[in-house]
Amino acid sequence: MNWLQRMGKPFSALVITFLSAPAALAAGSIDGEIERQPLNPVAIIMFLVFVAITLGISYWASRRTQTSKDFYTAGGDITGLQNGTAIAGDFMSAASFLGITGLMFVGGFDALVLAIGAFAGWPIMLFLLAKRVRNLGSFTFTDVVSMRLDRRPIRIVAILGTIVVVLLYLIAQMVGAGKLIELLFGLPYEVAVISVSVLVLAYVTFGGMLATTWVQIVKAILLLTGVTIIAFLVLLQTGFSLDTLFSQAAAIHPKGEAILSPGVLFDDPIQITTIMVSMLFGILGLPHILMRLFTVPSMQEAKKSVFYASLFMGYFYLALIVVGFGTVIFLYNNPAFFSADGKLFGGTNMAAIHLASAVGGDLLTGFMSAVSFATILAVVAGLTVSGAAAISHDLYAEVLCNGEPDSRKELQLTRITTIAIGVIAVFLGILFQNENVAFIATMPMVVAASVNFPILFLSLFWSGLTTRGAILGALVGLVSSVGLIVVGPQVWVSVLGFEEALFPYNYPALFTMPLAIFTTWIVSVSDSSARGEIDRRNYHDLLIRSEYGPDDGELQVAKH
Amino acid sequence: MDTDKKLELIRRKTRRRYVFSLMTLAVYFTFVLNWTDAGAGLGGFLGDTKISGSLVLFAGLIILMIVFELIFLALNSRGDEQ
Repeated sequence: MNWLQRMGKPFSALVITFLSAPAALAAGSIDGEIERQPLNPVAIIMFLVFVAITLGISYWASRRTQTSKDFYTAGGDITGLQNGTAIAGDFMSAASFLGITGLMFVGGFDALVLAIGAFAGWPIMLFLLAKRVRNLGSFTFTDVVSMRLDRRPIRIVAILGTIVVVLLYLIAQMVGAGKLIELLFGLPYEVAVISVSVLVLAYVTFGGMLATTWVQIVKAILLLTGVTIIAFLVLLQTGFSLDTLFSQAAAIHPKGEAILSPGVLFDDPIQITTIMVSMLFGILGLPHILMRLFTVPSMQEAKKSVFYASLFMGYFYLALIVVGFGTVIFLYNNPAFFSADGKLFGGTNMAAIHLASAVGGDLLTGFMSAVSFATILAVVAGLTVSGAAAISHDLYAEVLCNGEPDSRKELQLTRITTIAIGVIAVFLGILFQNENVAFIATMPMVVAASVNFPILFLSLFWSGLTTRGAILGALVGLVSSVGLIVVGPQVWVSVLGFEEALFPYNYPALFTMPLAIFTTWIVSVSDSSARGEIDRRNYHDLLIRSEYGPDDGELQVAKH
Repeated sequence: MDTDKKLELIRRKTRRRYVFSLMTLAVYFTFVLNWTDAGAGLGGFLGDTKISGSLVLFAGLIILMIVFELIFLALNSRGDEQ
């Protein structure tokens, strides 16, 4: 039995959803029956205020969204600070806030492996990818990988990787959003899912990336504010002493001092390593995150935006230490937060919300509930833009029209695609509502690490990469990552009901990413085709452009 | 600047990218030590406090990685000026 199985399904769902989808709602409360909370009028009012503000942003943005460039990259006019805040918003998610604090409530220190995993991808993004991706791409990461390779086949493979990641990410988001609204506001699940989709469609269809970015910025600021207030109020009670905080937590928690050190939740270093690999390299391959590098006007701003994002996230995850141990102090000794059978109301994912209630009353609870919901809206909006760009820009404009589409038609198609993605998201959200969505949510990070990251990294840093190698490597990464997840404990045992898993780990990126890279390498070095020669020769020009930009010194953000 | 000089500069910058990335990966994966015998000492507390070495390592790693970023940006901006 692995640790997830030992901890039971709701707990494993919480962890898995966080691992797979840092922006997803943690799944402890989205798996199985939801115990509804009494309606909180303050939360509803704050939720409505947030919706009104974001719709206002969308209306404002819609008046400035006239072209494909406006739609995909907000016209390339977002500053580094603004973009960094939006990127941080993508990651300082409901899962980070609710998921990590929920895990700390249960197991203390071990939960922080998720925080370090979600953080460490950003320095690597700055060092390896930010500048080169920004200089080479137009709208999507597919632009970058297709620059030196045979554009048609490599685009189709990259589009496939993007769509798989986006759809898997979306399912988790939609089910999570539906369950959260069901929990907080008492709405039927289907109504909740449709409401989320309609709101997101309003943001994206009319306001594109500009609206999506500003919604993300507003949400990130609100979340940082909320976490700061909660951490301040917790520290106020402990005399601003971390020692007192940890001492009180250890004294109250059933596991005692063990929660201050590793070993309560995790005991296998390989499991830990594969989680960390999945998270770090998954971040580097997420299409909706990479797309944000194109929303700024220059490579300097792209680098700044990644640095600001790291800074905000570093602060956020450090503050979560206080919030996480704060849940232990304020909740374990208060029966008001537990049902008759001793379970925390709403599941462990609600620990942070209950802490807000304990230290800040209804006002702070309402605020944090609204912010948690806002997080899901903002992330779904970003995913929808990314998915729409994959179809309308990568497939229609670049593959079908050979890079010379009718701009008006492309924008029309983008909006139609956005609506289609919204409808598909609702359909999938309702279809999977009674399934164990945790395994679905596991996949995007592992798939991104095994498919998108290898071809992106190798196209930027290895002269020997050929189209044939990239395609086969990506396909091996896709098939192996999905395949090993399916035969892993979470799907094979928990979902399909088999006695024993065929593969012992839930997050196979430690194995599938090297496999994809090795396949790409071996196929590329043995590729003696004429196309392979062209691919290798192209690296020289790509390298110069990746560092210096186009010859005229002006970055070509849009090709059409 | 001719192509050879550009390539030389790019090679230097690429080496820098690799060095910083490898340093970050190295410190990142030291976190795994927490769950191994080699890192058993991290479970202990600092002095008379209840602050464990593991918690200090977590905070230290985040701060260290931010410092890496700052140094990288500073080196790059100096290079851009030159």
